[in-house]
Amino acid sequence: MARVLIADDASFMRQMIREIIEPEGHEVIGEATNGIEAVELFRELQPELVTMDIVMPKRSGIDAVKAILAEQPTACIVMCSALGQETLVTEALQAGARDFIVKPFKPDNVISTLKKVLEKDD
Amino acid sequence: MSLDMAKYRRIFIEESTEHLAEISRALLDLEKEMGNGEAIDTLFRMAHSIKSMAASLGYDPVADLSHRLEDRMEGVRRAGRVRSPEELGLLFRGLETLEAMVAAVSSEEALPQADASLLESLAQEESEPGEGPGGASDGSGGERKKVPT
Repeated sequence: MARVLIADDASFMRQMIREIIEPEGHEVIGEATNGIEAVELFRELQPELVTMDIVMPKRSGIDAVKAILAEQPTACIVMCSALGQETLVTEALQAGARDFIVKPFKPDNVISTLKKVLEKDD
Repeated sequence: MSLDMAKYRRIFIEESTEHLAEISRALLDLEKEMGNGEAIDTLFRMAHSIKSMAASLGYDPVADLSHRLEDRMEGVRRAGRVRSPEELGLLFRGLETLEAMVAAVSSEEALPQADASLLESLAQEESEPGEGPGGASDGSGGERKKVPT
């Protein structure tokens, strides 16, 4: 089970991820609404896992991933993408993101993806 | 596991209404300055966000239209500006249709389908002047004039 930071500018998506992962025993320790907040909250809270939206204001999810991994190369980040964002997902994975989940979220897929990356992290 | 979709419907209505107001403001800014980067970025993000929420709830007509708007705005972002008054008009039509759709969700009416001609027009990428015929920018060069800021 992990301490999780959720980064997404849409309250809708943040609540949905929270509702999917909390019953699995994960603890949501913070929510960021843009890429700058995501980096700041990562520094402050040191989560074990970050779910990172790609399209966010002020600083994109891709930039935030690069900034976080530059500071902490072992950070465990899962991208949240939508259909049509394959190029951006590839860029995030090349930058060091562990995996991705696709919107609209399927709870089983979200749970299994997080489980997979956390197991690899052990 | 199942999610409380009634809750997400309420959030969708609230957030989409806010996003549509932001799109409206962005379009008014673009009307004054077709190269307003902040307005272009806002419109792109708002369309993207509405698309993701609508897809999560199975509101396919909303997701389809907002996806077309997002794709169109990707082209606008690449160009750095709205490329013609016709393109701006198209974006306004997209906004009006999305507003009607969200109003239908709010009043629990059947979701209206987007006008097929609107979806087709949004999908047709605007040509830049000099790229040949077929686009709204037909080489007259008028739309490429620097817009006063």
